[in-house]
Amino acid sequence: MIPNRSEYLKQQALQGQKIMGVLPALYPKELLWAFDILPAEIWDPPGDIVKANRHLQTTICPIVKQSLEFILTEPGIVNAGYLFPHTCDSLQNLGSQVKDMIGVPVPVYTFYNPKGNFNKATRAYYGDILNEFLQVLADVHGPPDIEKLRAACELGLKIDGRRIELQQARMTDRLSLNSQQYFQLIRAAEFMQPVDYLYLLNQVEIQDEPLKSHAIRFLISGILPPNDMTLSFLDDLGIGIVAEDLLAGSRRIPIATLDPPADPIEYLTDRFFLLPPCSTKAGSLDHRQQYLKKLASDSKAQAVLFNIVKFCEPELFDHRSLVKSLKNEGLPVLSLETELLPGLSGQTQTRIEAIVEMMGDEVLA
Amino acid sequence: MRDVGAPALMSFRDLTRRKSRPVPEAFGPPLRSNKRLKEILGRHYFLSRYVPGAKKVAWVTSGAPVELLRAFDFYTIYPENHSALVGAKKNGAEYCSIAESDGFSQDLCSYARIDLGHMLSGKSPAGKLPRPDLLFCSNNICQTVIYWYKTIAHELNIPLIHFDAPFVSTKQSEADVRYMAQQLLDMIPILEQVSGNVFYLNDFETILSRSQETSQTWGTILQTMRAKPAPMTIFDAFGHLAPIVSLRGLPVAHDYYNILLEELEERVALGIGAITEERYRLIWDNIAVWYKVRFLATFFAERKMNFVTATYTNAWAETTCHLDVKDPWSSMAKTYGQIILNNNLKHRMGLMRDMIKNFEVDGMVMHSTRSCKPYSVGQFDLRRALGAELNLPAVIIDADIADERVWSEQQIQTRLEAFCETLEDAAHV
Ligand code: SF4
Ligand code: SF4
Repeated sequence: MIPNRSEYLKQQALQGQKIMGVLPALYPKELLWAFDILPAEIWDPPGDIVKANRHLQTTICPIVKQSLEFILTEPGIVNAGYLFPHTCDSLQNLGSQVKDMIGVPVPVYTFYNPKGNFNKATRAYYGDILNEFLQVLADVHGPPDIEKLRAACELGLKIDGRRIELQQARMTDRLSLNSQQYFQLIRAAEFMQPVDYLYLLNQVEIQDEPLKSHAIRFLISGILPPNDMTLSFLDDLGIGIVAEDLLAGSRRIPIATLDPPADPIEYLTDRFFLLPPCSTKAGSLDHRQQYLKKLASDSKAQAVLFNIVKFCEPELFDHRSLVKSLKNEGLPVLSLETELLPGLSGQTQTRIEAIVEMMGDEVLA
Repeated sequence: MRDVGAPALMSFRDLTRRKSRPVPEAFGPPLRSNKRLKEILGRHYFLSRYVPGAKKVAWVTSGAPVELLRAFDFYTIYPENHSALVGAKKNGAEYCSIAESDGFSQDLCSYARIDLGHMLSGKSPAGKLPRPDLLFCSNNICQTVIYWYKTIAHELNIPLIHFDAPFVSTKQSEADVRYMAQQLLDMIPILEQVSGNVFYLNDFETILSRSQETSQTWGTILQTMRAKPAPMTIFDAFGHLAPIVSLRGLPVAHDYYNILLEELEERVALGIGAITEERYRLIWDNIAVWYKVRFLATFFAERKMNFVTATYTNAWAETTCHLDVKDPWSSMAKTYGQIILNNNLKHRMGLMRDMIKNFEVDGMVMHSTRSCKPYSVGQFDLRRALGAELNLPAVIIDADIADERVWSEQQIQTRLEAFCETLEDAAHV
C-alpha cells in the first residue's frame, strides 16, 4: 500500500523528522540519510500557480514554477532546508533566486552535477563535491558518522538492486501492476523513508511466468510519467509501459549493480558514473541513442512515447535526434507535451488513439 | 550570450552594397572607429571562406577560453555572433523555421535554432561559414550551448571539447578551480591531435598576456561612458564588443581597442556625446533585441535618454583581474568560471548596484528574453530589489534576442512610453 505523499510527510514531521525539500533530480540522498534527514522531492506539487508568477516568466517550465509555488506556500513541513541540485539553467537560477533574492526561513543548499563527457578529472571532482557537501551538512547537523553513512549506502544499494529487478520484471511482463500502479511505486521513492520504501518494493511480487497482460508495449522517455488520468487511459487501451527512461525514474538508478560500499564516497562516485545517459548531464547524443534503442529492443517495445515537459530545453534538444533514430529502427513515436496539469485533453486522447490505430491490427494481434 | 558585432558586420555589408542610412538628429556624430571595426569583422568573415585546408576551424561559444585554441592556431567562428547577425538582418524567423521544420522545438534558444537552421540549409548572410573541424564550448554562459553543440557534433560527426564550468552558487571553491584547470590541461593532447600543431607554453603565455591587456583596455573603454555626456551608447558598445569576443588574444583586437579608446577619450575631452542631448542615463539588462536595435536606440535617443551601461558588455572586463600569466591554468579557471551568467544572483545584484551608482544611472530597462533562461530567470526579483533599494524606475520588456516573431510592437511601445513618463516624473520630483 503506497502512502499518500503529503499525509506521510505530515506524519513524519509530527514525529520530529528532519525533512529537506529537494528539487529535481540527481543528488546523493545517502548523505542526507546519514544525517537522519529525509529528502522530500519536489517535482510536480498539485495546485494553481499564483505566487510564483510574480517571480517567473511565462516561458519557464512548469516544474520550476510549481516547485517555487510550493516553496512559497509550504506550511512548515520542510524544516531542514531546500536542496537545489544543478540540473538545468532554470533550476540553477531558481536556486539562487530562492537563496539570494526571495529568502526562505530554512537553509538553501546547492549541489553541482558535472556536465558533458566525463573523464578522470570529472571523477576526482565529483568526489570533491561529495566531500564538500558532507562538510556543509556536518556544519549544521554535527560531524558525520561514517558507519551510518556506510549503512545508508548499503540501504541505497539494496533499493537500487530491487529497483533493477523490478525494472527487469516489468520489461518481461512479470509484474501484475498496471502503469498507474507501477509509476506510483517508482515515485514513492521521492518521499518515503528508505527502510519503508525498501519494504514496499519487497512487497511487490515478481511472477515466475510472463502475464501477457499488455496488448501493446510502450517505452516511455522524458522527465516524469504522464499524469494518472493519462496512464489509466493507456491502461484501458491495453497499452503497457514496459520500460521507462524517465529522469524521475530509471535515469537515477545505476545501469549495473555495484559492490558493497567500503568507502562511501568512492561508492557514491561510482554510482553517479554508472547512471544511464540523461539529457541533463549533457553527454554524447550517440550514447543516448544507443541506450534508448537497446532499452526498446530489450523490452520488446513496439512504440515509444516521449512525455516532454513544456519549455524543458535539455529534453527538447535531444528529442529530435532521438525520435529520428528510433523511427529509423521502425518504431512508431508519439510525443506529448505536458504542462503538468491534471486531466486528459481530448487532443491527447485522439493522438494516443491515432498511434494505436496506426500501429494496426498486426501489433494488436 | 555575447552576440556581438552583428550590427557592425551588417553595416559592413551594407557599406559595400548601398549608402549608409542617415543618422537621426537625436544622435551625435558616429564614431570614426566604426569604419575600422567593419573592416576587421568583414575581413574576419571573408577570410574564413578560404581557411579550410590552410587552418583548422573551431566553432566556439562566447564564454569559452579561446586563448587555448589560439595557441594551436585555430581559426575561430562564433555561432552566437552569426546568429545575432541573422537576427539583426531580421532573418531570424526564417532560419528558426528551417530548424523547427526539421524537428527542433520553437521553445529552444533562438541563437541555437538559427545556427541549426544554418547547419541544415547552409544559408548565411555572411556568405558561407567554414565547416568546423572542432567544436569548443563552455557552459559558463548556459547549459544550452552544451545541448546545442553536442547536436552539431552528432550531426557533423566532429569532435566536441566541453569545458565544464561549475556554477558559482556562493563562491568558487578550490575544487572548482582544480577541476577546471585540469580540464584545460587535459585538452592539450586533443587540441594537438586535431590541429596538428604542438603546444608551446611561451606562445600561450604571450597570447594570454595580450588577451589580458585587451580585456583591460575594453574595461577602460566602458568606463569612458561614465562621462556626461557618454561618448557612445550601449548599442554601439554591443557592436564594438565583437573583437574582444571573437578575436580575443589576437593582435588585431588588441590594436583596435587602443584606437577606439583614443577616440572615446578625445570625445570625452571635447564633450561630444553619443546622443545630442543626454538628459537621462539608463542601464540595459540582458542581450540586445537584435532585430530592433535601431528602433530602440532611436526611441530612447529621441527622448534624450542614453544607455550608458549594460550588464553583459562588462563581462569581459569584470573577471580579467583574475588572469595571471604565470599561473595560467588556475587563473583561467577563475577568470572564466566566475563570469556574470555563471554566477549567482546576489553577485549580479551587487554588480548592477555598482554600475547604477558608478554610471549615475536614472532608470533600468530589462529585456526578458524568451531564449535565455540563465539571463532571464531572476530578473523580476532583481528589478524589485534594485528598484526598492535605489529608488530606480525600471521596466521589463518581453521579447527575444533574434526571433522577431516574438516581438509585440504595440505592447512594448506602450510599456516603454509609460516607463519614460515615470522616469521624467521622478526627475521632476
Ligand atoms: S523539466 Fe527540464 S527545464 Fe524544467 S526543471 Fe526539469 S530539466 Fe529543468
Ligand atoms: S541560452 Fe542565453 S547564453 Fe545560452 S546561447 Fe542562448 S542566449 Fe546565449
